Amino acid sequence: MSGRHVRTVTGLRAEGQLGRIVLDWTPVPWDTVVDHYAVYGAPDAADVEVSPATLLTKTVYPRFVHGSLGGNARRFAYRVVTVDAAGARSRPSAPLAASSQVSVTSTGSPLAVVGRYDGKGLEFALSPNGYSRYPATFPNGVDFRVGTDAPGTGWSYLQPGPADSWAGRRTHTFRLRFDLTAAPAGEMWLAIWLIDSHATIPGSAVLDVNGTTVDRLRFEGGATRGSLEGDATVPGTRLRPSYLERPLPAGLFRPGENVLTLVKDEGSWIAWDAIGLFEV
Amino acid sequence: MTEPRLNRRTFLQLSGVSSAALALGVAAPAEALAAVEATAAGEHVPDGVFGLGVASGDPSTSSVVLWTRLAPQPLAPDGHGGMPPRPVPVRYEVATDESFRQVVRRGAAVASPELAHSVHPQVDRLEPGREYFYRFHVGRQVSPTGRTKTLPASADAVFRFATASCQAWYHGHFTAYRHLVAEDVDAVVFLGDYIYEYGITSSNLWRQGAAVTPEHGVEIQTLEQFRLRYSLFKTDPHLQAAHAAAPWIVTWDDHEVQNNYGADGSRYGVSPEHFVHLRAVGYRAFYENLPVSLSALPEGPDSTVYRRFGDGGLVRLHVLDTRQYRDPLPMDAADQNREDWTILGTDQEAWLYDGLATSPARWNVIANGVTVAAITTNRTDQWDGYPANRRRLLAAMQTTNNPVVLTGDIHRHVAAELKADFADPASATVGVELICTSIASDGDGAPTDAYTPDWVQHPYVKLYDGRRGYVHVTLTPEAMTSEFKIVPWVEADATAPLETVARFVTPAGAPGLERLP
Repeated sequence: MSGRHVRTVTGLRAEGQLGRIVLDWTPVPWDTVVDHYAVYGAPDAADVEVSPATLLTKTVYPRFVHGSLGGNARRFAYRVVTVDAAGARSRPSAPLAASSQVSVTSTGSPLAVVGRYDGKGLEFALSPNGYSRYPATFPNGVDFRVGTDAPGTGWSYLQPGPADSWAGRRTHTFRLRFDLTAAPAGEMWLAIWLIDSHATIPGSAVLDVNGTTVDRLRFEGGATRGSLEGDATVPGTRLRPSYLERPLPAGLFRPGENVLTLVKDEGSWIAWDAIGLFEV
Repeated sequence: MTEPRLNRRTFLQLSGVSSAALALGVAAPAEALAAVEATAAGEHVPDGVFGLGVASGDPSTSSVVLWTRLAPQPLAPDGHGGMPPRPVPVRYEVATDESFRQVVRRGAAVASPELAHSVHPQVDRLEPGREYFYRFHVGRQVSPTGRTKTLPASADAVFRFATASCQAWYHGHFTAYRHLVAEDVDAVVFLGDYIYEYGITSSNLWRQGAAVTPEHGVEIQTLEQFRLRYSLFKTDPHLQAAHAAAPWIVTWDDHEVQNNYGADGSRYGVSPEHFVHLRAVGYRAFYENLPVSLSALPEGPDSTVYRRFGDGGLVRLHVLDTRQYRDPLPMDAADQNREDWTILGTDQEAWLYDGLATSPARWNVIANGVTVAAITTNRTDQWDGYPANRRRLLAAMQTTNNPVVLTGDIHRHVAAELKADFADPASATVGVELICTSIASDGDGAPTDAYTPDWVQHPYVKLYDGRRGYVHVTLTPEAMTSEFKIVPWVEADATAPLETVARFVTPAGAPGLERLP
């Protein structure tokens, strides 16, 4: 009811990460029945005016992942308002500002990229929900040649794993072939962006470059929604994107054809946003 | 039965404005009502406040809970139904005749914005096995008339009820309720999935002629979204008519919160620490939107919905909660076969087994969310995931008179005999399980489908049908007759006729399913 005191959240914290800023706060005690927390944000500012125009999300959780911020460092100011079961609103929390981290997709030079780093997987084969056709379409996994093949037919939106019965409960290998005119002089980075992954068993994949095993890539748990929808930028999306960027050892790449191989031999599927190699 | 009454102790436990407002949704003392009416005097309440209809539920042999939620604009995006943000007095009357010449109870409650302007008055001191009519008043507005009925006290009575579940509004019309309303039932037992949390988009909106605005297109998470989702489903006129036709006894399954959740565990990557916040709003909206007693009002993320109805005599109903207390889905066979693994939780198990063993009733009806019968070991969301708990349940069923399990969840009609030892299909039959198909979930369906072989491979499964409908049950001292009813389509419109695909009789004292022609 209007005029009643509704508790303001405390303990607002922020952590800038690749492509996102993670906010969390201390939930109000249970004796306040919370309808939702309203999170307000404004770019490139030290504070934000609480208004419908700056509302970023309504969430029942004491946490908000401000995602799909892209590869550049983005700075935002935030405030959080508690809305209770009667529709009454608290005073806004104190403001807090934070920045996301810059991505190698912004600072590096692309040498081989499949897809767009845009929070969407819609450009890929079988997207957004054609996983049941994966076994027939990609019986031997993906073998994609940059400059020749098209993402819409050559790169599956999902890479299954051995936990996926619909994909035969086996490992699945994706190969990315690309040509270099010369061995790269700078540091090479791999940038993998996912729009989502399996929530509880995203698993891992073995990364191999030109026949040399580099490492095992472990994926973040997502929301198990990316098998059915492909756009993590839709307001209210439940997709949970994740970002994996790392330098690769020197000397792996050579003039002529290079092959990067991902063998998904643990866990369930991942849903692609983009994959690429960048020289920094 | 579990005591839901707003007694003095309950009142004393409540404190502060918010708690008082909650309590006033049940019964408003005269002085409180006068204060609210004085405050509200002269303030306009929008027309059409009964847009979500009326309902009754949680019947005992002497009482029933009445329900309405004031919402002149049921689909207002903020979930408050177009009501002003202030308390509104609601008066009700209960009569023995439809024209309200013989009014036997009058009372009042306060509809507060904290509870989305819902009220849950409990009417006591009624006669057993008797039909009553009720209506609400808000200012000069009068609600539609509802019919309700107390449970029978006599062991010689006849008790007729229907079971229903899984009403994905977007998958089809609630034709089954149109037919159910025409039946002369004493109660409706609803077995879970009253709403679904999924976003409603062109890919799942199969209900022809329906359209939704963009706020319905995302998976629901906030209380306002849950309230709005209940409102959307309740806009179906046949659902409103079914609520107005008989008292409902309701339990939940998973979709009142999130698909396949268990306790504080989400399948979708929400941490337990965070998931309880979703559960809190899901349970809150359940209370606000259904005719359940005050005992189901959540405290934070916890709500007690397992409860018991019937004093003995012909029937006692044991209503279970197979979601809130379950151990996590088993990760492997070792988990699955642990002796201490439970789908009910320790307290509810003890409560159920004690209630079965001490029940004097002729029939002991257990309302339950997920399939008890052994089907396949990979159906771990059902009792198949908790075989040790199933053995304990089956043992407890042998301590009581004529146990019958009612189930929903699977969107299929299934009739099964429950065996003393499912590892030995030749073992004794200790009870029966009547699984009702969905009201609308999965759209039109078909008599058989890809899942049929999993079920009919077992000699104790006596029926499988994958179309929409409900189960009608008649209990007498001598026998239970169960009739499985379907409608051939639900997606195109609500005109489909009713068909009975199977009838079974279960004699008292001889558990089993004898198919009738």
